[in-house]
Amino acid sequence: MAKVYKDLREFLETLEAEGQLVRIKDEVLPEPDIASAGRAASNLKNGPAVLFEKVKGYKYSVVTNVHGSWPNHALMMGMPKDTPVKEQFMELNRRWDKYPVPPKVLSREEAPCKENVVDKDINLFEILPLYRINDQDGGFFISKASVVTADPDDPGNFDKMNVGTYRIQVKDKDRIGIQALAMHDIAVQLEKAERKNEKVPIAICIGNNPLVTFMASTPIGYSQNEYEFVGALQDGVPCEIVKADLCDHIYVPAGSEVVLEGYIEPRVREVEGPFGEFPGSYSGARNQCVVRITHITHRTNPIYESLYLGIPWTEIDYLMALNTSVPLYKQIKEGFPELVALNAMYMHGHVAIISTKCRYGGYGKGIAFRLLSTPHGMPYTKIVIVVDEFVDPFNLEQVMWALASRVKPDKDVAIIPNCPGMPLDPSSYPAGMHTKMIIDATTPVPPEPNPRAVELLEPPAKTAEYEEIIRNLLKQMQ
Amino acid sequence: MKCPRCDSETIRKMVDAPVDNAWEVYVCDTCFYSWRSTEDPHVHAKFKLKPEDIPNLQVIPPVPPLEK
Repeated sequence: MAKVYKDLREFLETLEAEGQLVRIKDEVLPEPDIASAGRAASNLKNGPAVLFEKVKGYKYSVVTNVHGSWPNHALMMGMPKDTPVKEQFMELNRRWDKYPVPPKVLSREEAPCKENVVDKDINLFEILPLYRINDQDGGFFISKASVVTADPDDPGNFDKMNVGTYRIQVKDKDRIGIQALAMHDIAVQLEKAERKNEKVPIAICIGNNPLVTFMASTPIGYSQNEYEFVGALQDGVPCEIVKADLCDHIYVPAGSEVVLEGYIEPRVREVEGPFGEFPGSYSGARNQCVVRITHITHRTNPIYESLYLGIPWTEIDYLMALNTSVPLYKQIKEGFPELVALNAMYMHGHVAIISTKCRYGGYGKGIAFRLLSTPHGMPYTKIVIVVDEFVDPFNLEQVMWALASRVKPDKDVAIIPNCPGMPLDPSSYPAGMHTKMIIDATTPVPPEPNPRAVELLEPPAKTAEYEEIIRNLLKQMQ
Repeated sequence: MKCPRCDSETIRKMVDAPVDNAWEVYVCDTCFYSWRSTEDPHVHAKFKLKPEDIPNLQVIPPVPPLEK
């Protein structure tokens, strides 16, 4: 059974014990120190989480880069920190099939997130050490919250309860802006409520079990519940949740450090942004939704968990990497069992690499079209590279070899204009429209002709044995 | 005091530091730009806003029609 963390604190203990968390004990200014450390930690190979114990003017600590390296990602899954990326992908796939694992609902008394209550004179700054993430951001943003909302037309339906990550701008002590793009589940719920001019109850959960944060940023179906996936990714151990205080059909992670409760004001839009976004550039000011916070619960001495996002790779990229790849893989695999692996780690799947065996001619392009018609792939993915089943899509040197040795551009590259796009991608124009490109780097199979078929080189017979010998010799030299 | 982004004079103090009066945070009630007194806000020309342009910014997501 894999190691499971009930909350952020347990995960931070493991990170520290494994040498993947460092503490800054001296007092720092909120700007530019915290964001700088987030950028710096992701610049380092195998970068650690960074915990600031004292931030000038604030009461509590801040931790950043918690998910921000492959060792941290492996530890999140309870795997050894040196687990290769493809093995982490395969393990995620195995656990994914355990869905649904119903969560364990704790009583209010059992839930650490209810230790303290604030229900008057709400002041976010009293609880959260808020800070500017990128220099030209329009204010202080909460970049790593798991936001919970329900379906206004079917509020008691647990499956339709949504846990998602959305950017949040602090606009006042008790008022925030939130970005709900039309393609996101929260926008589906918001539209239903706004048609009736109803408030949307909301719980914004900060500092969570690392797999809750991971699932909140995973693209899954509208009627699939994130908490049931957390249980699956915990290898069958249920996620612990508790009812929100203000809304009977919203549940929050029982171990959250801070839970902000309130409502989205219906039919109101106000200036939000700019904000430095995951494509590595700012998205400008737009009129976006507004949330009023009316109630806060928090643990004693809450830890504010936040992430830096900049030109990839930064922490956010680890939260859009394998959890983008796995659901896309599952959706395609259902109809096309020849699929071997799928790497959609680049800018939330804007570029994706599919490894597949080809059953008949044109199969590679067909698989690419399937990816481009998945709910996430349709707006996000714009460049699809398809490689043979023996090419590891997580090994970019191998992928480049496949492009170099397999692609005949006039027949293997297809351009499809005027398709859906992701508005935050600065090359999407008009924002939300894009062109798709498929590069089929698979070896032709009949009926497609392959007039210059080749024999692939095989590794010499004792290669694996010598890998082990050389590894051991290197260890002895250290 | 003027807003570093939209030049409006609709500035108010949003909050004092919870500890030691270490700083204050200010916000513009016209464009919601906010900054801390320990920062030196400098908004790039590309991100400057004119108050009269605010109603024309893109609306995300669009507000649906009211059901009757």
